[in-house]
Amino acid sequence: MLFFRSEDMVRDWCAERRVPMRPLVNIPQLWKLSTTWYSNRLQVDAHRPKPDEMVSIFAGLGLTGDFWDPRADRF
Amino acid sequence: MNAELDIDARAKLAIYRHFADSGRAPTPQDMARAIGCDEHDVVAAYARLRAQRVLALEKDGRSIRMAPPFSGIPTEHEVLVDGMRSFANCAWDSLGILAALQRPGDVRSRCGQSQEPLHLHVERDGPEQCDWLFHCLVPAAKWWDDIVFT
Repeated sequence: MLFFRSEDMVRDWCAERRVPMRPLVNIPQLWKLSTTWYSNRLQVDAHRPKPDEMVSIFAGLGLTGDFWDPRADRF
Repeated sequence: MNAELDIDARAKLAIYRHFADSGRAPTPQDMARAIGCDEHDVVAAYARLRAQRVLALEKDGRSIRMAPPFSGIPTEHEVLVDGMRSFANCAWDSLGILAALQRPGDVRSRCGQSQEPLHLHVERDGPEQCDWLFHCLVPAAKWWDDIVFT
């Protein structure tokens, strides 16, 4: 899970490693994801999101499809 | 069983607070002192928390490699808050540390391809304008198959 300067950089990185390019996430989306996922991490009732919660969190950011589904068996 | 749940909950909270206060992973001795039990109980709690995907441990079962978003070892993703440096496990977790701390800070990372440095300031309500991108190679269903690689 890395930062990249541009989409071209992601494409080059994937091509060099012969791996598929995955959906790209912008910084505002990543911040929203981070706050949703981690903002209660220092509290007593903190918990890692369950699979259904994860799907809902990703979908709320426009991140849909099997790639973002922890229950998917396609991969 | 209830005693185990209590120790696990206390250990989890103490681990995260230790990372938040120091930027470093606690030792089992640190945790034994913090939650008032012996090291054997702490290490047993670590194993249960690993099974719950709360922690990733080194092979010795006693050293915390990851308590997401915090990393127990130095990485290329640094987070600076009030002069304290923490390490994140990945790009996502670098913002995750600031979200967890709920304090402004700075991310120091780099482009995965060009190695160009990224310096990103983040206020409590979010990062400054930035057109960089985040890319995750591993599908969500496989993240914990090898969380260090992910």
